[in-house]
Amino acid sequence: MIGSKILLVDDEVVFANNMSKLLAIRGYKVTSVNSGDSAINALEEEDFDVVVLDLKMNGMDGITTLKEIKKLGLFTETLILTGHGSIDTALEAIKIGAYDFLAKPCEIDDLIEKIEGAWEKKDEGEKKDIQEKIQKLVESPSAAFDLFPPKKRKT
Amino acid sequence: MNTPVEFMDEDFKKRAGVKGKALYIGLFRKFILLTLICSLLPLLIVGWGINIHYTNFAKSRMVNAFQLMVDYHRKIIEQFLSERTSKLRLIANTHTKDDLKEAFNLNHIFKMINRDHGAIVDLGIIDETGRHLAYIGPYDLMSRNYSQTLWFKEVMEKDIYISDMFMGFRSEPHFIIAVTRAEKGKKWILRATIDTDAFRSFVENVRIGKTGEVFLLNTKGEYQTSPRFSGRIMEKAPFHTGPIYEGTEIKFFNESPDGLKQSFPKQIVAQTWLKNPRWVLTVKQDYAEAFSDVNHANYATLIFLHLSAISILIVAVMIARYMISVIKKQDIESDQLNKQLMQAGKLASIGELSSGVAHEINNPLAIILTERQILLDLSDKTRIQDTEFKNQLTESMDQIDTQIHRCKHITQSLLRFSRRTRSVVEDVDLNSFIKEVIGLMEREARTGGIKFLSDLEDHLPSILSDPSQLQQVFLNLITNAIDAHDGKSYGSIRITTRFDEKNKGVKIVFADTGTGISEKGLEKIFDPFFTTKPVGKGTGLGLSISHSIINQLGGNIDVRSEVGVGTEFSLFLPLKPPPDLKEDMADD
Ligand SMILES: Nc1ncnc2c1ncn2[C@@H]1O[C@H](COP(=O)(O)OP(=O)(O)OP(=O)(O)O)[C@@H](O)[C@H]1O
Ligand SMILES: [Mg+2]
Repeated sequence: MIGSKILLVDDEVVFANNMSKLLAIRGYKVTSVNSGDSAINALEEEDFDVVVLDLKMNGMDGITTLKEIKKLGLFTETLILTGHGSIDTALEAIKIGAYDFLAKPCEIDDLIEKIEGAWEKKDEGEKKDIQEKIQKLVESPSAAFDLFPPKKRKT
Repeated sequence: MNTPVEFMDEDFKKRAGVKGKALYIGLFRKFILLTLICSLLPLLIVGWGINIHYTNFAKSRMVNAFQLMVDYHRKIIEQFLSERTSKLRLIANTHTKDDLKEAFNLNHIFKMINRDHGAIVDLGIIDETGRHLAYIGPYDLMSRNYSQTLWFKEVMEKDIYISDMFMGFRSEPHFIIAVTRAEKGKKWILRATIDTDAFRSFVENVRIGKTGEVFLLNTKGEYQTSPRFSGRIMEKAPFHTGPIYEGTEIKFFNESPDGLKQSFPKQIVAQTWLKNPRWVLTVKQDYAEAFSDVNHANYATLIFLHLSAISILIVAVMIARYMISVIKKQDIESDQLNKQLMQAGKLASIGELSSGVAHEINNPLAIILTERQILLDLSDKTRIQDTEFKNQLTESMDQIDTQIHRCKHITQSLLRFSRRTRSVVEDVDLNSFIKEVIGLMEREARTGGIKFLSDLEDHLPSILSDPSQLQQVFLNLITNAIDAHDGKSYGSIRITTRFDEKNKGVKIVFADTGTGISEKGLEKIFDPFFTTKPVGKGTGLGLSISHSIINQLGGNIDVRSEVGVGTEFSLFLPLKPPPDLKEDMADD
């Protein structure tokens, strides 16, 4: 989806910058950060549709970051990028709740394909959630307050 | 990366003695030498020592016995002579000349003496002038006068005389015993002749075997009795008698006394001097006969000794052979085990290294790729007038893409080394699986003029294994086989499957008609990065990955090849994967 908000997390600064340029050209709104911590901060500040996360990073590594992101309980989908071809870690990431993985180096087109997939999933999840909520609202309108709290984000 | 691997190989071979035929021969020699020094040599030394000691002891005993016997025999001969002498003296002293002159009386006495002892041929009475007064005996000697004979002079002087052998008037070898008696101031003589043959058989009455002889010699060294072999009576003996001495002397003759050396048997000789007359009793026997008993015992013990030595040697050789064969077998086994361990170790460490390297390379590659993309994006937007530049740009961009993909291929191959902990195990019907794989490769093979032939066993049981890993291995082997036909316009790849009931598994053989692999190549073929293909075409990882995969699946892979004829890879896969692999499954 043109206009999707994407958070790019990679400690390779050049790579992150290049990618964000390429994605921006293709119509995405990209924010790039260079560590797990800043990724979490960014997510707390702002909503993103898709997070593109490098698995092997200095400081907080990909898996830990992913776990932290999951803790936030967002609809955001995470796409794993790995320079390490080991499928094992990638599979582990998917178990934890990543949408999919992609091995570096990758073509921009492949990345975009996966991002689109991730976005669709996120979108579906959101729609389903809203439908459920509407259903509940229909059943018991008093629950509206619980379902739509003033702030969307958890603390 | 290749150097340490090769170095390890060489070192390893030296230690395991793969090239060590000489090593085993050395070991064999050492073992035999040790046996010789520790058991054979002492046995022989002790055996020989005892033998020599015993032989010497026995021989000296025998020599002593020989000496004693000869001594005793001398005494008997002396007794024989002195008995007859004293008889004659008794007769002379108890009878007068006149008594004895009577032929009747003399005859009576002659008969009496011979009845008791015999061996007297005749008796005679001779007066002081040498005339015969009376004579009893077979010869006609009455008219003879003895005054000029040696014995007459001697007996007149000494009163008792035993002569040497002489011919005398009767012209036959004989010897006499004579005694005198003085009557009325005049001496007369009683003389007796001893029977030569009787005396000889008396002298020879000693046990001396087949080669022995006994005889008497006088001081001049003339035979006094006929010896059995060496001469005749009264002839000169070939040895000189030497000075007179007491007791018995033992001598050993190594050569004939007359100087004729040829084939003279060694002899033992005992000599002892009689008191009266001065004759030397000589007893002679061939050394071999005299000591035949000792020598027999000697030979027997020596033969026994050497037989035992030989049997020890044979047993030692057999044991050494056996031990060497056991050691060889163990060496080969441990050699193989070591090889496998080394291969596994190599693969493991290379796995770790390569995954690190791959990651490090993948990141810059990713950046290069994005840079390229950015440039492409920009060039799309910009209008470039210079067509030459534009063409060059497109060409370079394409080339960058190709090279990045090449690198990616390499890093991916490397990453396959990072050990998979999980295999996805499924039921695999190998026959249809192989058909699928052939289907994948058929087009590529056909362009190279290569045919697939398959010989698949009809009722092949399905196995539990990881199909994606197996596919990787099969593709690897087939790709290699196709590559091996480089430069040939046609060829074939035969794939065979067989159920191995005994080992509970399946055997799969990939045989090609390609170039084959040299012996040196065969040693390294499973090593990572060993390749004969040009740079960019082969990484040399295909077979080492296949090797580690098959091992992980509990099977094994083997290769046989002949240069110019073809190559055969045989795989064995168990019906069920090893338990440690299953644990990984359960984990999943
Ligand atoms: N069937 C075969 N016939 C002849 N030579 C072979 C055959 N299979 C392997 N080899 C030799 O063994 C070498 C190592 O093979 P391996 O598959 O490990 O590496 P590669 O084919 O050279 O490279 P890669 O498979 O990684 O692209 C090859 O370069 C080739 O020389
Ligand atoms: Mg190969």
